[in-house]
Amino acid sequence: MPVFPSEEWFVAVREEYNKDPSLHSGGGGACDTVSGLEIADRFYRIQFEGHQCVDIHESSKTDIEDLDFVISMPEETWRKMVKDIQKNGKASALLTLNSIDLSSEESIAYSPIDDQYRQDLFYRYNQNFQDLMDASARVETSFE
Amino acid sequence: MSEEEKVTPEPIAKPTFKWMGLTNQWDVRVEPNEHGLRLGDLNVGIYGEVPEYWEDQTRRPRGSVGRPGIPPLSYSLRYKHDVWADCAADLYEEAIQRQWIPATDVPWNTLETLPEEIEKAVCQVCTELSQYANSEIEIISHWQDEMSYGFHEVKQYLATVFFDCARHVEALRKRALSNGGGLGIESKGVANRMILQSSGGWTESVAYLYLVRGTYVFHLIKGLHNSAHNEAERFIYKQMLQDHARHLTYGYDHLKYAVTHKDGQTQIMETLLAVGEGIMARELDTSLIRPAMAIIFGEGLEGAKTKGMDSYLALVKDFVADYVEICGWLGIEKTGRLNPALQQYLDL
Repeated sequence: MPVFPSEEWFVAVREEYNKDPSLHSGGGGACDTVSGLEIADRFYRIQFEGHQCVDIHESSKTDIEDLDFVISMPEETWRKMVKDIQKNGKASALLTLNSIDLSSEESIAYSPIDDQYRQDLFYRYNQNFQDLMDASARVETSFE
Repeated sequence: MSEEEKVTPEPIAKPTFKWMGLTNQWDVRVEPNEHGLRLGDLNVGIYGEVPEYWEDQTRRPRGSVGRPGIPPLSYSLRYKHDVWADCAADLYEEAIQRQWIPATDVPWNTLETLPEEIEKAVCQVCTELSQYANSEIEIISHWQDEMSYGFHEVKQYLATVFFDCARHVEALRKRALSNGGGLGIESKGVANRMILQSSGGWTESVAYLYLVRGTYVFHLIKGLHNSAHNEAERFIYKQMLQDHARHLTYGYDHLKYAVTHKDGQTQIMETLLAVGEGIMARELDTSLIRPAMAIIFGEGLEGAKTKGMDSYLALVKDFVADYVEICGWLGIEKTGRLNPALQQYLDL
């Protein structure tokens, strides 16, 4: 059973997300970005092309200037969201990326090079990311 | 009229085919890629040559053959730096893919009766935000008429913004009229007037519409989303947030283009923003959005006086902080130069 967070887990989620177009409804459109997910000391590079998540792999938090934005939340918040998705089939109202972003002191997304244009991509695309995370409802998950 | 006086009509002209040899570039075969055939993909050869100044004063599509004798039209925005943002073609594609239908996409059946004071607050916010969206429609339609066809990507993109705003007006009006409430009181329109009376060029309007007021609206929608009372509201605000993020992206990107490609534009922006900050501060003071948002955040009249107002002030503080940061990104230093009426929110 894949453990959250791990590359194995994200790959399993990606496969669920890619194979079912009904999971692509929230964003409602194509998403083209290379971004990062920061979970405590773990870092994942993630790439969307159109309606597909074409790549996600564990990486390091170095050489990330090419990323449009990085979503960074405390590990506890990530876990809370994923557990909530496991329980309810999708993130409930106050545990979506949008909601967490507002209730956080600082935005949960940042541009590694402080590029406002690329930072704004988070707000244009976060529903696609939410769809991907919601696909984890279909992945049996261990939290260790 | 006698038979002799009858005018014999001109015979129907025989078709000519000389026009068929006239083209600026032929044999163009743009092929779709994995993303399909996008607007920006068509910028090949002469069709992709976006001039710094568009000489033509007609509606001639960029790359087509000009026809002598077409009377000029009064396009005043003819420099690229007047309108351009590199992201316009991509935003156009994104916008037309991400349409939503308030009539059927919003789960209206999730609306539930709210305490009257909260319903009144939601309806007041819907009323004023719909006026904001209407002013955006009006200012875009005003300047659309002035934009040269050499920059068709921008014209097309702004047509989608126009439609986004119409949809926002629709959704907000539907929310106000579908849960036992009704529309509230008309906005004083302080910021709307600032935007609609910005006559110095589209860039000036963009500064007021997106950098000053739009950044505030973005935070308002985020706050509404986080305080949504049901799935219907949550859906509306989520979609508005996504649409508005596109609008801001164009706005900020255009301002960046303008300040980096037009001599003196940074200084002009500094002057415009000094004026705009004062007006925006007055908007914040006079708009009924403030007490209405406090009621929403405070979950009622009692809570509005304490945590509701605190939350609203935190929202405004975030807006001002963002505004200052974006100004910095544009090369306009605001630290120590911000209008005191806005600075007070930062100092909270």
